[in-house]
Amino acid sequence: MDATDATPAVRLDGVSKQFADSYAVRDLDLDIEAGQFFSLLGPSGCGKTTSLRMIGGFTDPTEGSVLLAGEDVTGLPPDKRNVNTVFQSYALFDHLSIADNIAFGLKRKGVDRAEIRKRVAEMLELVQLGGLADRRPRTLSGGQRQRVALARALVNRPAVLLLDEPLAALDLKLRRQMQVELKQIQREVGITFVFVTHDQDEALTMSDRIAVLNAGRVEQCGTPEDVYEHPASSFVASFMGTSNLMTGTYRGGEVALDQGPALPVGSRPGITDGTAVSVSVRPEKIWLSDFEPGMSKLSGVIRETVYSGPTTTYLIELAPGVTLSVLEQNTARARMEDRWSGGETVEFGWRPEHCLVLA
Amino acid sequence: MTLVRESSAAAPARPAVRPRRRRGRADRRPRVLVAVTALFFALLYLPIGVVALFSFNSEKSLTVFGGFSLRWYRAFAHDDVLISSLGTSLRISLVAMAGSVVLGVALALGLVRCRTRLGSLAGLVMLVPLITPEIVTGVASMLLFKGLGVALSTGTVMLSEITFSISYVTVILRSRVAALNPEVEEAAMDLGATRWQAVRLVTLPALLPAVLASAVLIFALVFDDFVLAYFTTGVDPQPLSVRIYSAIRFGVQPTINAVGTLMLAGSVCLIALALFIPRLFGRRGGLDILSGE
Repeated sequence: MDATDATPAVRLDGVSKQFADSYAVRDLDLDIEAGQFFSLLGPSGCGKTTSLRMIGGFTDPTEGSVLLAGEDVTGLPPDKRNVNTVFQSYALFDHLSIADNIAFGLKRKGVDRAEIRKRVAEMLELVQLGGLADRRPRTLSGGQRQRVALARALVNRPAVLLLDEPLAALDLKLRRQMQVELKQIQREVGITFVFVTHDQDEALTMSDRIAVLNAGRVEQCGTPEDVYEHPASSFVASFMGTSNLMTGTYRGGEVALDQGPALPVGSRPGITDGTAVSVSVRPEKIWLSDFEPGMSKLSGVIRETVYSGPTTTYLIELAPGVTLSVLEQNTARARMEDRWSGGETVEFGWRPEHCLVLA
Repeated sequence: MTLVRESSAAAPARPAVRPRRRRGRADRRPRVLVAVTALFFALLYLPIGVVALFSFNSEKSLTVFGGFSLRWYRAFAHDDVLISSLGTSLRISLVAMAGSVVLGVALALGLVRCRTRLGSLAGLVMLVPLITPEIVTGVASMLLFKGLGVALSTGTVMLSEITFSISYVTVILRSRVAALNPEVEEAAMDLGATRWQAVRLVTLPALLPAVLASAVLIFALVFDDFVLAYFTTGVDPQPLSVRIYSAIRFGVQPTINAVGTLMLAGSVCLIALALFIPRLFGRRGGLDILSGE
């Protein structure tokens, strides 16, 4: 690996942002590799937008430094940074045409007219808005405005594109479509995307890497599979999808639940016997009435059956106060009349490695 | 017999009653209120109507209408003193308009963005000129200029008019500035504009309808203003309103009616323009002059 490859496109080095007497971001270290689709994921107030604004130069960190391609840009204004932003509200210029909106950044840079016209046309093509060049932003739909905002930022060929929940205002169907499109565009232009979202589905679908933020700190940073399959904390486990979280005490490869039986778990080095831990099992990792050798087997009472099209969710009471959610696919093999109903006692189980121990 | 007749009469009567009641509820117009409203408008516009009517009088009389003529308009056109006063008033209005709009817009931007205690205090203080009796501001301005040893002139009128017009501009602009999306200015800076370029290229164009509307309003207000002008003007040249006042003290000339009617026509045109400007920019609905929305 040579030196230039190792330089991250964005590096946050011990960055903190303090507002009055509370921290929005606290001692954040983050490396974002060039060319990646990187998501900052977390609930509202976790500091993800503040982090993005510090990369963009709209907010100055109270401590630490922001590096772009190895260069310290802390304190530089937005117009002196080689990054562009797609704002949550799109922030289009209503008094300018779509073409002039997209040309705005190039005009600031003093690119010559013929070149501007060519690049604006290319961009309109890329975001599939050819023919709308002379329209005003007000006359466009939400999805189209979103594309204009994207084109206006990308046309400047920034080293990093920052996206602040750009899909939040779109309806579900359009959002799904734009997720795929954004990902395709990112691959096509090869620019590093830093994408802020509170929607874990969105982050999982689009990202090369995800940083899960909570209360101004990174809880976990990794690939979507990593973060979903091996959550590093109970916060990550519960924020990424649905998890059955239970508390208990670790002892020799097993966790004795506070309420309920002892569960065999995957080996977890570094945890000593007697430590209070959480365990997590994903609803879709639980098998019902059909087992493999070596599985942990348990039984419980069905409390609720929730049918939702392609899947059925069962709420099973394992012990008083411990209810697990179990997801079953309604595939061609599953027969409708095979479903359990409330009050029945069922056997279920999981592979020990799917029962995760969280400190 | 009687019973049958009563019941058969009652049945068709019911539907006839219903629509009358419904209409009564929707369009109830107590005559007293109609009369009061009519009286209000009569008292408001009758004197102005009389001035306009007598400006076309062929006689010199202010009580007897002798027939239609443009005699007094001609007299006004040949009255060098009044014409030069009109020129002075136009100059004062234009300068006051430009000055107060520039300062008022800047103040509105500052007040909305500066969220400190001092900022909100300034926002309150800014409103004081709107409720201060003009006679007080007039006398105060005069005393200030006298105290500083500044000779009263057209320049002092301009300064005073600018000072006391800023509040109007700021009040109109403030709600519009507050309604701006702060991300739009950030987007401009993100795209390589400096802070000042962002304001010039993005913020001001977004505020343009309200800026123009407030400019027209200030022009009309200053052009019509008498009290402040009276206390701060020099002897010569005098603004039109002050000139008319001095002229009336030596007996009312019908020429004044013609001048008054022309000023009225001019003001109506300006106000109409102020209401029309936002539509020019394709905003839905008119612009409320006082809120700027």
